[in-house]
Amino acid sequence: MEIKKQLEQALAAIHEALTQVVTPNDLADLKAKYLGKKGVVAEWMSAMKNLTPEERPAFGQLVNEAKNRINDVIESFRQKMEDRRVAEKLANEAVDVTLPGRTIPMGSKHLINQIIEEVEDLFIGMGYTVKEGPEIEQDLYNFEMLNLPKSHPARDMQATFYITDELLLRTHTSPVQVRTLLENGGKKPIKIICPGKVYRRDEDDMTHSHQFTQIEALVVDEYVTLADLKGTLLTLARKMFGDDRQIRLRPSYFPFTEPSVEVDISCYQCHGKGCPMCKHTGWIEILGAGMVNNAVLEATGYDKTKYQGFALGVGVERLAILKYGIDDIRAFFTNDLRFNRQFK
Amino acid sequence: MKTSIQWLQEFVDIPLTPESLAAKFNLMSAEVESLEPMVRAIHLVIGHVETCVPHPDSDHLHVCTVDVGDNKILQIVCGAPNVDAGQTVVVALEGAVLPGDFKIKKSKIRGVESHGMICSLDELGIERKYHSEEGIHVLSEAVRPGTDALKALGFDDTVIDLDLTPNRGDLMSVLGIAHDVSAMLETELRLPDPHVDEDSERNPVRVVTDTPACMSYYARIIRGVRIGESPMWMKARLIAAGIRPINNVVDITNYVMLEYGQPLHAFDFGKLGTDTIVVREAYAGETILTLDGKARLLMAGDLVITDGTRPIALAGVMGGAETEIDGQTTAILLESATFDPIRIRKTSDRLDLRSESSVRFERRLDPNRTRLALDRAAQLFRHLAGGSILKGISFFENNSLIPRHITLSLEQINRVTGYEYKMSDLTGVFDRLHFTYLVSGGQLIVDAPTRRPDIVTYQDLIEEVVRIHGFAVIPTTLPRLVSTGFLTPFQRFRRLLRNTLIDLGLDETYTYSLVTESQASAFSTASTPPVRIAKPMIEDRSFLRHSLLPSMLEVAAYNVSRKADRVALFEIGKGYAIEGETEWVSGVLLGTYQESLWQGKTDAFDFFVVKGLLEALFDRVGIRHVRFEVLKEENSRFHPGISALIVQGDIVLGKIGKLHPLTQAERNLPDTFVFELDMERLHQGSARNEKMQEIAKYPFVTRDIAVLVDQKISVQSILDVVRKAGKKTLIDVRVFDLYQGDKIADGKKSVALSLTFQDFSKTLETAEIDQWTGKIVQALGTELQAVQRV
Repeated sequence: MEIKKQLEQALAAIHEALTQVVTPNDLADLKAKYLGKKGVVAEWMSAMKNLTPEERPAFGQLVNEAKNRINDVIESFRQKMEDRRVAEKLANEAVDVTLPGRTIPMGSKHLINQIIEEVEDLFIGMGYTVKEGPEIEQDLYNFEMLNLPKSHPARDMQATFYITDELLLRTHTSPVQVRTLLENGGKKPIKIICPGKVYRRDEDDMTHSHQFTQIEALVVDEYVTLADLKGTLLTLARKMFGDDRQIRLRPSYFPFTEPSVEVDISCYQCHGKGCPMCKHTGWIEILGAGMVNNAVLEATGYDKTKYQGFALGVGVERLAILKYGIDDIRAFFTNDLRFNRQFK
Repeated sequence: MKTSIQWLQEFVDIPLTPESLAAKFNLMSAEVESLEPMVRAIHLVIGHVETCVPHPDSDHLHVCTVDVGDNKILQIVCGAPNVDAGQTVVVALEGAVLPGDFKIKKSKIRGVESHGMICSLDELGIERKYHSEEGIHVLSEAVRPGTDALKALGFDDTVIDLDLTPNRGDLMSVLGIAHDVSAMLETELRLPDPHVDEDSERNPVRVVTDTPACMSYYARIIRGVRIGESPMWMKARLIAAGIRPINNVVDITNYVMLEYGQPLHAFDFGKLGTDTIVVREAYAGETILTLDGKARLLMAGDLVITDGTRPIALAGVMGGAETEIDGQTTAILLESATFDPIRIRKTSDRLDLRSESSVRFERRLDPNRTRLALDRAAQLFRHLAGGSILKGISFFENNSLIPRHITLSLEQINRVTGYEYKMSDLTGVFDRLHFTYLVSGGQLIVDAPTRRPDIVTYQDLIEEVVRIHGFAVIPTTLPRLVSTGFLTPFQRFRRLLRNTLIDLGLDETYTYSLVTESQASAFSTASTPPVRIAKPMIEDRSFLRHSLLPSMLEVAAYNVSRKADRVALFEIGKGYAIEGETEWVSGVLLGTYQESLWQGKTDAFDFFVVKGLLEALFDRVGIRHVRFEVLKEENSRFHPGISALIVQGDIVLGKIGKLHPLTQAERNLPDTFVFELDMERLHQGSARNEKMQEIAKYPFVTRDIAVLVDQKISVQSILDVVRKAGKKTLIDVRVFDLYQGDKIADGKKSVALSLTFQDFSKTLETAEIDQWTGKIVQALGTELQAVQRV
């Protein structure tokens, strides 16, 4: 049992030697000294040849165990050394994570288009398609087929930029409705919304703009009611201004609808108590609507005894102004990036 | 339409506060624009100036003693030069509050105590458009001291201003409003029945007309009229309605117009010099001097009142100056007529002459009030101007008053509204509105009254029922029509493109379509000049733009001048031409592209950044095989050497480039890069993979080569040759270096390329790659005289 003693001595010597180890090379040297081809353990092994065949297995097992123990000690030291090295390396690589990241600029969607997309998506979900049309429009489509013959006093409601006597900048997106009604040849039901730019002879100031954006909706079918209009308006009001909104209808006038209504939503600032936002009425006017006037159905080839419909029209800028508390409509068109980038 | 509530109360009971009445109007009739007391003041009484002496210590103040009733005599210091003993005046007592929250307190003015203030109309808040009085207001009528002054002046009233829609011409009269109030409140309506005390002398006038545009014409003659001031109550009501009192004759015609909605005109009968009134079509080239002092050139289609030869009034629009009432007028011819509304509108439109009269005519009058209004006014002349009314009315009448019987069935209204009305609901509403009707089965046959020319179809009747019965009962449902909602492929493409540009760091703008003439055609290659608005409001907004870029450059300059260091804009919008509209997506980029300051990295926008952004965009939206070709344009706004056409096949998608230095300087811009692409063409040129493509199983290999070519040879043409020679095996080629300088010959450049080879069926052998590379180098040599650098 000489070997056991020698092993204990060798381990002690190794532990002693490890205290002197600094580099991986030092460790390799130490390992070679004990486990190398001419190392201590090899030397022990060489004693085997002097033993009897009966003694050899036990001896071999002893030496192997000794070899494993020595190897474990050295390898575990190597692991610690490596861990230390990695830790040091990582410590050296550390950065101040509080430094700013590289600026990857993101753009912004114009608020008007955000609102258009929001309203479009709401209506698409309810089964509407989106129709567009020209902005240079014929008097015929913009007015005459909408029950607004020439010299009709209601033309005053929409001061118009004329290009020629028969050509104008559309004052609303209703000509798209007319075009769609005509396309459908008086037969098929219609469920569309029409977003787009419209123009009126208004002097630009905080609340007026010669150009603004409208979204109109039109539903024509055999059974479409004022109640359906009211439900649709309530859905729109709640989508844009919150689930606890109420709406109310007031009489109004548009030549292309009859009855015509003005639509108010319950004030979302004071919830009906009265505040400057709603001019102390508890209600805020947001849009106009009505049941399609039979004159329009007739002009576009629909049988008024069979078909009826509703239409509504909302100003996109007005929605944005109300929703975001914007105080000057010109801000939409100035495109001060400090304004545009607020809305992403 | 502004009106006094007291005036309304003459015709209808209003057992509500003005505020509650206004709320009813909003929900059932017309929108209330404003509701205001006529004068916002308290503690004003009528005073009688007993004595008035100069202030001992002032050259313009007076010290007055004023009887303010209840045996109280107050000492008041007054600064108005017109104050005098014996006057009946308005006194603001101590504790009074005048408009503008002006409080009256006891005070000492230059040592003399003053217990109140004698008021002017200005101090009562009566605007200058209604009077031109200087100094204190002196009442022309005797009023007992101590009387409530506002009451005495007729100013103790509330004014309701209704924002009328063009269909409700009937609400342009106090009587019309009273009708609606009666329907809303279900209170009694008291209609006037004007009585006329005629003289025995006969009205000598003969009325002739030869035009169907004059439907009726009634005239009375009133003699012995004394021109003077109107009574206070009348002036107050005119002021409440927004009309300036002038003299009793003018005021009476205005008053009756407001009350009945029927415009009246008074001619000075003495100046007229004839007994014949002829209403006829104007002759082209005829002129008339209107009351506002302007000479008006007439056209065929205008309607005139004449003395048999010359026009004396522009029918329905404005009277003529020649027969104007003045201080010497004693006899008047009073006209009440109805004319074709469309003709009146055309004339007033063309002459840009809108009057209280023309607005009422064009919105259609009640033909049954024409004569009533004449009589009402005549009687007022007798009472208030001392006139005697000659016997009889001269008239012409061609009104075809065909009754409008409109049928409405319960089924119709319920189908339209989605609410189950009962017949009693309908009859209830028409009773309240004072419409006569017949019920027959489930149908209602309504006789639309002449005062409501807007009621023509059953839809109009539905509106009356819904508004008077109330909108609140209408249920909320959604249309039953089942349909699929979707965006068209183009609309989806537009959204994808917009979102991609935003993700690439661009801010979206939204600018006006109307621009200046020079902006409208800038950057345009359109074949027709820009479209001009017929009557622009301002020159800045007089033309429709071809290109979005000029407006966007304005936005860029605006932001640069506000120290924006990064301006990256895009806009999707239309350019306009008479033959059609083109949708563009355009961009303007300048300043910093990306930066990390503390790392010392700053990339500015340059041509290749912008080109790279577009290539990324094309990749995202599926636009392939795009080439950039040198842009050759005369008088281009682009830098001639840093601009390109963007082409796909033989379709020009758009342009990209640096602005010409002159264009930049014009707009005060730093180096600016722009692009402009045709949306429709982009959409046409975009495609998605219809099937999955196999991923190569065998490795790819890259080889780098550098070739020396003539400087004039574009990289594009090198790449074209390389791709052609490399066939399908060459899956990618990248430019990784470009060198021009002293190390190579003059006029030459070195282009370094990284070639990537791959075969889908096998691993490429080195020999094969050498062979492909050799072919490419050879092709470059043959076609571009390129020499490989080793």
